[in-house]
Amino acid sequence: MGNLKVKQPSYSSIGKSAPRIEGEKKVSGAALYTADHLLPGTVWGKVLRSPYAHARIKRLDTERAKAHPGVLAVLTAADIPAVLTGRRLRDMPMLARERARFIGEKIAVVAAADRNVAEEAGQLIEVDYEELTPVFDPLAAITEGAPELHECLAEYQGLPQIGTRLKNTYSHEEWLLGDVERGFRESDHVFEDRFATQHVHQSYLEPHSSLVSIEPDSGIIHVWVSNKVPYNTKNSLADAVGVPPEKIVIHVSAIGGDFGGKGALMDLPLCYFLAQRLNRPVRMIMTYTEELTAANPRHAAQILVKTGLKKDGRIIARQIKVYWNGGAYGAMKPIPTVNLPGAVKAAGSYFIPNVRVDSYAIYTNSVPCGHFRSPGLVQLAFAGESQIDMIAEALKMDPLHLRLRNALKDGDPTVDQKGMVEVQCKEVLEAAAAVTKWKHFKKPAQVGRGMALSYRHVGLGDANARMSVKPDGRISILTTYADTGTGAHTILCQMVAEVLDVPFNQVGLEVGTTDTFRSESGTGASRVTFVLGQAVLKAAAKLKSLLCERAAAMLGVSSDQVILKNGRLRVDQDSARSLSLAELARAATDKSFQLEVESYHAEHETPPEGVFAACVAEVHVDVATGQVTLRKLDTVHDVATVLNPVGHQGQIDGGIMQGVGYVLMEELAMEDGRVTTANFGEYKIPNIQDTPLLKTTLVHSREGASPFQSKEIGESAISQVAPAIANAIYDAVGVRVKDLPITAEKVYRALKERRAENQRPSSK
Amino acid sequence: MAKLKLEVNGESLGVEAAETALLLDALREGLGLTGTKRGCETSHCGACTVLLGGVAVHSCVVLAARCEGKEITTVEGLSRDGELNELQRLFLKHGALQCGYCTPGMLMAATALLRRNPKPSLEEIKVGLDGNLCRCTGYTGIFEAIQACALSGK
Repeated sequence: MGNLKVKQPSYSSIGKSAPRIEGEKKVSGAALYTADHLLPGTVWGKVLRSPYAHARIKRLDTERAKAHPGVLAVLTAADIPAVLTGRRLRDMPMLARERARFIGEKIAVVAAADRNVAEEAGQLIEVDYEELTPVFDPLAAITEGAPELHECLAEYQGLPQIGTRLKNTYSHEEWLLGDVERGFRESDHVFEDRFATQHVHQSYLEPHSSLVSIEPDSGIIHVWVSNKVPYNTKNSLADAVGVPPEKIVIHVSAIGGDFGGKGALMDLPLCYFLAQRLNRPVRMIMTYTEELTAANPRHAAQILVKTGLKKDGRIIARQIKVYWNGGAYGAMKPIPTVNLPGAVKAAGSYFIPNVRVDSYAIYTNSVPCGHFRSPGLVQLAFAGESQIDMIAEALKMDPLHLRLRNALKDGDPTVDQKGMVEVQCKEVLEAAAAVTKWKHFKKPAQVGRGMALSYRHVGLGDANARMSVKPDGRISILTTYADTGTGAHTILCQMVAEVLDVPFNQVGLEVGTTDTFRSESGTGASRVTFVLGQAVLKAAAKLKSLLCERAAAMLGVSSDQVILKNGRLRVDQDSARSLSLAELARAATDKSFQLEVESYHAEHETPPEGVFAACVAEVHVDVATGQVTLRKLDTVHDVATVLNPVGHQGQIDGGIMQGVGYVLMEELAMEDGRVTTANFGEYKIPNIQDTPLLKTTLVHSREGASPFQSKEIGESAISQVAPAIANAIYDAVGVRVKDLPITAEKVYRALKERRAENQRPSSK
Repeated sequence: MAKLKLEVNGESLGVEAAETALLLDALREGLGLTGTKRGCETSHCGACTVLLGGVAVHSCVVLAARCEGKEITTVEGLSRDGELNELQRLFLKHGALQCGYCTPGMLMAATALLRRNPKPSLEEIKVGLDGNLCRCTGYTGIFEAIQACALSGK
């Protein structure tokens, strides 16, 4: 890891690679994920799914399934309320009612003590389908002749207000700056290109799991679920199954990977209905084939990019139209616009006076899509940054210079900010050029280098924190935010250790149930350190004054004379008079006063900071086969204070490798709506052999919007990877692939086509 | 259902299991050893890796009944008297885990590798862990932890 411009202030806990607080449990097998909660008498639920992309359900007969030995219950849409579910837009039935809209949609659910019996019995359910005309391509779905997939769209709860509604379109966001038409008129060069991106799965290794157990007397519904937004899930479940939310307790469990994919209800309502009917705990765990065919993957997209420049290389207009293949339902998307937040950064990391972005979320008969690390931006950065290199070549400019010429700087407006602050765009580019010796690279045959740039922001939302001193003097944070693996909980403990001046190992963290607080946003959108971090800091400040006040009373001084240092409360200038936290906690127990505080923090406006990242990829392309080998990847990140260096680097490395998978191998390949890459043998994610030489360089700025002047890292490491590699492939062998993933087959075909073109006699 | 006797982490344990039961299910459901994770269940991801007679296997494709009389080691068997072993400690130190779901399998695969090859090269680590997927770390921390463990000689 290289460091440029290091200016970190000195802290005692912040900036140290504190080991993750739940790590010991994870390396010893003691961490409990949803499926690890084994309750006596638990039975399995398994679903039957639609084999048709678009069909009317004419007849459903469950008699044979019900008679199958060992089957405890079979439910179809007729047995449950006709309620539609969704995180924002409520458009998805819990079981298909009269109509199935994608291959994999749930038709019925079976319960049995034995998982195999439940699965077999599902196959005994007789369903007569009448096939309807499906539509798979979002651009086809918006045409007049396309089948209407949701006739009752206007009645759906949570439907965003939009202007003109294209056919099968449930969300349209537009972002404007200046006058893009005028910008194009005034341009000397205008480039228009079309890009396509594929569906990819988050590939967390823990499949979606649900466990529901209902207390017989009180009717309290206990839920364990691989889900990172417990309050939204509690309320959505309450609405879906028709119980008051107070009856539901969600036990926040360890989550085996999320990357944006673990926020929807999935099987939870069905699990509840079975548990309620059988008076037994019920669990449902998706198989990985179900995951790859019927969960909530990253949106495939069709992207049009039009860019206008002056002769000198200044970009003066950029228009992006993106058509998201939303799949059969919009239920999985968590933001009120039911769109993808990355659309706001579609124009790239550049100052462009005239911008227009149109982002359409469109229904098709394929798997419903959701969020995946930097949703929207990953797709749009591939398009935008590929085109920047295409433009540089056409204008005979170094792609580095074209980027530097237009790079955002302090005070520049964008479609969503009046003026950016602490912009490190040029700095990351220059650092990337310096560490890779960009200008002096001697290119061996079939080897190429490519560069790309992107930036992100932190996420908004709200959070609660409770903090107390335990009888042994340890500080304990109580949160209901899940740590999905990012190390966020560890960072919270570091923050508290820092501001209370106690040793790191004297701070602990407990994860509560949804009974703890009224509500909060939950994990996602790079908000945890930013929003929950501030809630925790507020609580720590409150606790500190409470401790000083109580200690002052015991020491017979005024509270402003007491300081908290090294885990002890001391009278300032009189070190002989002091109390340990344990002594104070004992006094609290004896005299029954509370050493507990609570705080709440909400963020409603995105800070005007960008978190910039540049990437330089070096590839080798085998011209005989089209095989791309990623030799080296340099990544440069704009950071301020790094709260936990090992954790920070882990976010970078993990994000980068997901980007590598995205560009070179991952694809939920579909034939007429059927996912054909339905297991990890077919759906390739990077394994340890695919890891190239990764090198990180950090560019430090002074200020960050997050606690202790830190900046977001969880999502800013991924978006620039795909275009950097695409650009490197072009640099190596001169073929431009504009649809992802860039497989050996596509490169081979493109090379072959180019050879054929070169051999064709010139028409001139 | 059959009554099986399995030798797990040095203990002889009886478990009721169907003849077709997989080792993964016998460990998790039968013995409550949930450290071994249920992942893809098609022998691609490696989250369910355990040692069978000292060899790393994917327990989602091994019949429990075939394991009688063989020494089985799961992640729960790595710690000694509540103390983490060197490899576990180094996984923590080098950020070789995030969500932790692949970690038990990754530790078992690495344990098997280091037993048969105490000083593996980078290439040998890659081959040795080829059957275990991790989606969080980008594998960098995992390399580092295993290399550090090999160097420590413990």
